[in-house]
Amino acid sequence: MTALTAIRREDLAPALNQDLNGILHLLTCGSVDDGKSTLIGRLLWDASDLYDDQRETINRSSNAATGGAHPDFSLLLDGLVAEREQGITIDVAWRYFDTATRRFVVIDSPGHEQYTRNMASGASHADVAIMLVDARHGVKRQTRRHAAILDIVGVKRVILAVNKMDLADWSQDRFRAIEADFRELTLRFGFREAIAIPVSAVGGDNVARRSEHMPWYTGPHLLEHLERIPPRDITPRGPFRLPVQTVLRDGLDFRGLAGTVASGYISVGDRVTDALSGQSAHVLRIATMGRDLELAKQGQAVTLQLDTDIDVARGAILSLADHPPTVATQIEARIVWLWETPFDPSAGYFLRTATDLAPISTISIKSLLDLETLIAEPSEKASVNDIAIASITLGRSVAVDTFADNQPTGAFLIVDALTGATVAGGVIASATAGNGASASAFKLTRELLERGLCRDLSDSDEDRREFQRRASEAALLLHAAGIPVKIEL
Amino acid sequence: MTVQLSHLDMLEAEAIYIFREAAAQFRKPVLMYSIGKDSTVLLHLARKAFWPQKPPFPLLHIDTTWKFRDMIAFRDKTVREFGLDLIVHTNEEGLKKGINPYDYSPSVYTDVMKTQPLKQALDKYGFDAAFGGARRDEESSRAKERVFSFRSAGHRWDPRRQRPEMWNLLNGRLGTGETVRVFPLSNWTERDVWRYIARENLDVVPLYFAARRPTITRNGQLLVVDDDRLPLQPGEVPQMKSVRFRTLGCWPLTAAVPSTAADLESVVAETLGARTSERQGRLIDHDQAGAMERKKQEGYF
Repeated sequence: MTALTAIRREDLAPALNQDLNGILHLLTCGSVDDGKSTLIGRLLWDASDLYDDQRETINRSSNAATGGAHPDFSLLLDGLVAEREQGITIDVAWRYFDTATRRFVVIDSPGHEQYTRNMASGASHADVAIMLVDARHGVKRQTRRHAAILDIVGVKRVILAVNKMDLADWSQDRFRAIEADFRELTLRFGFREAIAIPVSAVGGDNVARRSEHMPWYTGPHLLEHLERIPPRDITPRGPFRLPVQTVLRDGLDFRGLAGTVASGYISVGDRVTDALSGQSAHVLRIATMGRDLELAKQGQAVTLQLDTDIDVARGAILSLADHPPTVATQIEARIVWLWETPFDPSAGYFLRTATDLAPISTISIKSLLDLETLIAEPSEKASVNDIAIASITLGRSVAVDTFADNQPTGAFLIVDALTGATVAGGVIASATAGNGASASAFKLTRELLERGLCRDLSDSDEDRREFQRRASEAALLLHAAGIPVKIEL
Repeated sequence: MTVQLSHLDMLEAEAIYIFREAAAQFRKPVLMYSIGKDSTVLLHLARKAFWPQKPPFPLLHIDTTWKFRDMIAFRDKTVREFGLDLIVHTNEEGLKKGINPYDYSPSVYTDVMKTQPLKQALDKYGFDAAFGGARRDEESSRAKERVFSFRSAGHRWDPRRQRPEMWNLLNGRLGTGETVRVFPLSNWTERDVWRYIARENLDVVPLYFAARRPTITRNGQLLVVDDDRLPLQPGEVPQMKSVRFRTLGCWPLTAAVPSTAADLESVVAETLGARTSERQGRLIDHDQAGAMERKKQEGYF
């Protein structure tokens, strides 16, 4: 029941404007043994705007756990009862804190091999990853596995936190040896930046303040380095892409294509194209509630009104005419199998791209990646935590990019048609028009559907969506019955 | 082209994206409207997401009958102002049995008057998706919550079987009997909510602003007596004090804080300078260890 202390009114304006620096998404991966929870807890404890009651709760609980020697920082992180009881991290946990310069989102993910899928899903949201090792043990098999996963899901910046330096006599030689191993490891991947920092999370050395124990280390401490990383949105990267989420109307003559700019930017007057239908039009208005914009860039949620009413709906990706996405029915990809039920070639699956959902005709697994050796071993099977190379044939065309060209439109999920479960996440290595399903496939045409299954549907946007939905479902049923099918609408 | 989006711009865009994805993927969504500041922000973002249309879903208010009178007045004014559809649902069974927040433990009361009626209403109207204003920073079991949070038949939440979410791809395909809770404010903090309310100049329930109100002190918490239904204990005499609320719920279960912040600017100033988290004022969360996780498993938001 303590009274709130107001910040002084003259400090209010800067406090309100404190939001000018964007958000950095920070993944932490490593195991409990490496002191991961302690490291992040220490970062929160020393650098963040943690509330007093949260600090008190930690102090109180710590006395039971650590005999009061120091706060048990890991209590800030392990959330679920099962996790607290077992002292492990199972699921991805999200934490938020502000320093004077920016918002940090800490994505805390488990390190053990049996939770690879959780790590992969956590990593897919990250701008930068901290990999943690124990100074006494150095780079291990697990570190290699983590680096491989980070690379696959598109993390471009990595930090190796060499923890427990206090237990390694603050040894420079020890650190340099680990740093050299790390350098050799990271060179095998496509990281833009990789740096090793010697820390002791328990004592806070080089976490949010410079360590007095390691004068030989002249690089930045962890927080200092994190605050230097530019947030991802400063410069829009890549070609303009706007995956259409929905069509909005005002009941009069406004018809707008609503979506979030996935990459690049667009201005009023630009000519945009829907690669799927081949139609083009000029941008008349970039509308949002309250005001129109002259320009919309990556990350902004807008509604585009075009000068001619082209027939574009959810699932389309608007682009500039000279740099469209690929219209593909054939995709080669790396996938992470996320679900307990293994891949089943006879099951019905959907491909979920930015805003499209297309029935999959066939998935064939080519090989599984050994994350420690990085060698692909031939395999036709994939089960939970596997990273596989797969070839996917779609029942109809979708608009996509390769992940290397454009991350937001180059990633996908595989969805189980029956349970709805997200069974895999994937990144596109190559996409081609291909032949789609083989020539002998049953052709599910508009005419066939209009004759019966869809004869109650009109030409409205809503009914056209419903038409697509029924076509997809029909294709999946045929597929489940063992009939190869190709949708031709 | 180096104009940078602020983190509030990014959070706003993310919430709009989530609203549009959910509206496109689910057959019959509803917005859980609990009248507080988070609901205010949620509703504002929903209006932005679908403008110039109205949000393509109704609001649902689970009325325990113990909300502050100011909250109900604010709810009705908001619905009128924006021309929205509102569904109000109360657990009539619980009401008949006289389940109230002072004779029953917070966990029983919450289950009967909040969780049960929420499930009843979702079933009654056949909603397959419900938007909520929950934030991951509120509480440790929420920190593991998904943006699309699936519930099995009976609305149960199984933290061990959550669907992975990768990149910003949201998979809304439902299995048999499944429904989903959608959390557009997942990545917001309490401070963001207030910053955004100030930035967008949003109207909130007057209880968030300090005023002299009749208060009693019970179990170290400051309660505002909103009507004559709460039996006072010996020695308890309501005293007029300048207080406000950081979070709003049922009045016998929601503690006030001493404050003189009487306008939006001073409230934001107080919040940004606050040293304690808002849930400290929520009595139901302190009931037992892992309280929120258990409530969520049973179907609470």
